[in-house]
Amino acid sequence: MLVNKYIVKGTLLLALINLTGCASLSIEPWVKPYERQNLADPIMSASRHPIANMHVAHVLDGREAARGAEGTEGGGCGCN
Amino acid sequence: MLLIKFWRRSLSAVFVFFISMNVHGVTIGQPAPDFTLKNMQGNNLNLTEQRGNIILINFWASWCGPCRKEMPVLQELEDKYKDLGVQVWGINVEQENQAGRDFLANLELSFSIFFDETNKLSETYKVEAMPTTVIVDRDGIVRYVYRGFKDGYGKKYAKAIKKLIRE
Repeated sequence: MLVNKYIVKGTLLLALINLTGCASLSIEPWVKPYERQNLADPIMSASRHPIANMHVAHVLDGREAARGAEGTEGGGCGCN
Repeated sequence: MLLIKFWRRSLSAVFVFFISMNVHGVTIGQPAPDFTLKNMQGNNLNLTEQRGNIILINFWASWCGPCRKEMPVLQELEDKYKDLGVQVWGINVEQENQAGRDFLANLELSFSIFFDETNKLSETYKVEAMPTTVIVDRDGIVRYVYRGFKDGYGKKYAKAIKKLIRE
């Protein structure tokens, strides 16, 4: 009986969390697109030399036999 | 009994959440949320006072590449359709906007630029992408929302504006 009560409570709590968490039915970014000023700052990029960066990526591609998956394009403004 | 009470409470909480979500943000066909901001020329402009004009609201930032590309396109639209009751409002969303001001100094823009440092307006308009462009018709109703900017969007804006002018 007691266990049953706990199960009911637990599922209810889960249901509530689920409802409130997914109520918007879409995953929203924690940092809003208009708040990406700091993320889009050039200082946030690992390398500021795109051509050298491309070469390093190419070398790593060959060495690790893992082509592609080098992240996405764009400047962090959520527009691509 | 307690369970039912709890359910009711949680359900009503979810309801309130949904309703609160619908209050904010822009929906096509709904009135555009009102705001007043001072533009770079120093005039206070209020959106509801612009009834009778078609307003293109563009949320931009200097760190956003496509926004930078878009600015001359917006200026062209302003020049072309200004006499037909169309205004372009550029809203800068940067918290620290010196970079934005520097960017503007290199351009010759005549349309109204606003600074939304607190991001309150971006929040009410639920800016989901940078740039976001909202076109408001003569009755203050949101008619078009564009997220992002790609080549050819200028033509899309012009088409939308022309359609609204003819109404």
